[in-house]
Amino acid sequence: MRTPRKGKVYSRNYSLPTIWKNGNIYTKLSFFIWGSANIANGQIAKGLIFLAAQAAYVFYMINTGIGNLMDMRTLGTEQQGKVFDESIGIYIFSKGDNSMLILLFGVSSVVITLMAFASWLISVYSGENARKLKLANRVVPGIRTDIRMLFDKNIYRLFLAVPFLGIIVFTVMPLIYMILVAFTNYDANHQPPGNLFTWIGFSNFKSLLSTGNQLSQTFWPIFIWTMIWGFTATFSCYFGGMFLAILINSRGIKGKKLWRAVFMLTMAIPAFISLLVISTMLGKMGIINVLLQQWGFITDPLPFLTNGTWAKFTVIIVNLWIGIPSTMLIVSGILINLPAELYESAKIDGAGPVKTFTKITFPYMFFVTTPYLITQLIGNFNNFGVIFFLTGGGPLTLRYYREAGETDLLVTWLFKLTTTTTDYSLAASIAIIIFTVSAVFSLYSYSRSRAMLDEEGFQ
Amino acid sequence: MKKQVIGMRMKYAAYAGAANIFLLTAMFLPYVKKEGCSLSAFALLSGIMGNGLSGLSYILAAAVCLPVILVLLGILNMIKPSIPVSKVMMVTGAVEALVMSLLIINSKKMIDLSGIAGDKFMVKDFGIGFWLALVLSYFALAAVMKSIKVHPGHIILALMSVVWLFPIVWIILTSLREESGYYVGYFFPKGLTLDNYRSMLDPAGVIPFAKWWSNTFYVAAAICVINTVIVLTTAFTLSRIRFAGRITLMKVMLIIGMFPGFMSMIAVYNILKGIGLAQTLTALVIVGAAGAAMGYYISKGFFDTIPKSLDEAAVIDGATKFQIFTRIILPLSKPILVYTVLTSFLGPWGDYIFPYMLLGDNSNSYTVAIGLNWLRDFRRIDTYYTQFAAGAVMVSLPIVILFLLLQRFYVEGLSGSVKG
Repeated sequence: MRTPRKGKVYSRNYSLPTIWKNGNIYTKLSFFIWGSANIANGQIAKGLIFLAAQAAYVFYMINTGIGNLMDMRTLGTEQQGKVFDESIGIYIFSKGDNSMLILLFGVSSVVITLMAFASWLISVYSGENARKLKLANRVVPGIRTDIRMLFDKNIYRLFLAVPFLGIIVFTVMPLIYMILVAFTNYDANHQPPGNLFTWIGFSNFKSLLSTGNQLSQTFWPIFIWTMIWGFTATFSCYFGGMFLAILINSRGIKGKKLWRAVFMLTMAIPAFISLLVISTMLGKMGIINVLLQQWGFITDPLPFLTNGTWAKFTVIIVNLWIGIPSTMLIVSGILINLPAELYESAKIDGAGPVKTFTKITFPYMFFVTTPYLITQLIGNFNNFGVIFFLTGGGPLTLRYYREAGETDLLVTWLFKLTTTTTDYSLAASIAIIIFTVSAVFSLYSYSRSRAMLDEEGFQ
Repeated sequence: MKKQVIGMRMKYAAYAGAANIFLLTAMFLPYVKKEGCSLSAFALLSGIMGNGLSGLSYILAAAVCLPVILVLLGILNMIKPSIPVSKVMMVTGAVEALVMSLLIINSKKMIDLSGIAGDKFMVKDFGIGFWLALVLSYFALAAVMKSIKVHPGHIILALMSVVWLFPIVWIILTSLREESGYYVGYFFPKGLTLDNYRSMLDPAGVIPFAKWWSNTFYVAAAICVINTVIVLTTAFTLSRIRFAGRITLMKVMLIIGMFPGFMSMIAVYNILKGIGLAQTLTALVIVGAAGAAMGYYISKGFFDTIPKSLDEAAVIDGATKFQIFTRIILPLSKPILVYTVLTSFLGPWGDYIFPYMLLGDNSNSYTVAIGLNWLRDFRRIDTYYTQFAAGAVMVSLPIVILFLLLQRFYVEGLSGSVKG
């Protein structure tokens, strides 16, 4: 058994019921009035801070919090309407409920309550800790010691406070909000403040994942294309980059730095610039079509970005231009660390370059880079930039739901649903589906890398 | 008796010699094959020469004459193998391969001008002789390179470099082009000028590019400072301090990171509106900084490799954790520090989604990514294409310089991410 160290607030050795059972009257009081145990045991400043936190929370809840949570059940009942005002003789707008704000305030109340619950836990444990220290006749740390500890043992509280708050307010809260939106009918026809939206359960998922309606006839082709794109883009760049790295690093190539610099140059240019430039080059009157016509390859411009099938091939090829240099860089780093004696013995055994690659280089590389490949795969499923800047998801097709186009990935469709068509509930449902896909691949990657840590090396 | 020369592989020298003889023969096979018209390279050249040599036909002349030299050199090499002769052969072979490649793109103009083979020559009208000569010229070059142990991979690298540099050269040339407009029927501009840059930077001009640039710089600089501090402190805490909930926190961040970040932008927008910051650049900085901690991963991986015994020694000397961070860990982490600064500075330059969703449609608060995408729109591209190109160069240039200067650190950070 570990013994609780001095000054330690948390310990797994005592749970809330044990504290309740063992504690004195002040400990029991601190379950209801935060910080009372701290004050009773000499930590007056700390106790007052807890008390102030409780007061602020209670004040907030009574003032607006409870109301916010209650409104969440219906997301508003009073629609904004037009009322004829006889005294002025015109229609005036009556102020209705704003479902979006109701949901947002509701979520923030939930988050604030969760944070209050955490503070309550901290205060109870902190009070109990102070009591135990006093009981053992040890020094109960005052507020000055606590502050000094913030720079030492408890530095994690100092360092993580701002990032934690940032993530709660700007990531977690919006995320909860958006997950909840997936279960409402917040779409183009239900836009606050003019209209209300309300809970509709799993309908969005049902219409996306079923078959037969236009939404699912958009979702499934886009989903399949996202998968095809993810795997093709990842593996084509992987093998292309590996080929380039092996070539540049092979013995006998002169000017290695120069070659590397050429490809690094394309990596250094911000991707959106390269993509915008290349998309202008591939247009109907772009330079590529102009040159191909001049050189006598074609008589009519090629529909690089305007025909669905052509566009799919184009984005994959342009992605090679973007992706090969960075893969080359990563693979180069691994190549240098490859055990040289393996190659020497292979050479003695009479293995040619092809055999060396298939039997040594590739197995080793694949072994080391599996986690990287899976990260790349997830990154490519969500590769917004390449699709958005090259084709904008286009060409549009009548078979698909509203703005969706033939090269749209789930993530670019999600972008369109949030910005142009404002079907937020659909967008949120798709985001949850994207999350599920990413999570499945990440979990696989995680289990792989854990397995790798245990192994000594590749056989 | 078999001739032996140190540093030479005769087998490949023989391949090269044979390939060059075939190459010469290919010049007599049909170069152009259209309905009722079949011309070898020689016939074509003599036909064009009848009309007087023009600029482009020099290329054809070179393509036809160089194989003769190559065959002679090959015979010389068979009689008395030597490395200098092979080197001359390699250079000549490289020129021949280059010339043959240039012929793919120049034949149409040359033949159409001469009028020998009717009008409207197309690439599909090339005869077997041309394609054979093209392939053989590369094969002979590779063989001669192998014979004197020069890696033939140089050929592939050179060809790949052309592909990779093509868009870069194009956009630089366009940015310097005097004639405006999207559609021009040629690669090299007719006149060069710096006006495109001038008009983009002109504060009174139509396009507030200078404003976009400084907006982006402001955001990038602010995010760079704040993110670096947040990422490094978070990474240090998660790597060095053991506290309750550490693993849980890391797992939660991993899971949160899997949601597409911008799906919740509409909520973020409303929160910012609530604080009164919507549609400002400060909002961009705050949102960027708020999520910064999620990128702790690579730095933590680096900190994990610094031996714990250093910390323990420092603790014995009475150092606090804060001092361990500032006096021990940070000075040892220069590569990851530079990496974090570099990536967090470069991030906002290429970021499109967040600015697009947070800044609204006030073109004065655009960042370069939104601005250039706005310029690229089909309604504006005809008028502003050369300015767009100048803008693209002006955004890329500082970043490329910064990146190439600090690439060592970038590579180190990247390889850290692979191991992690």
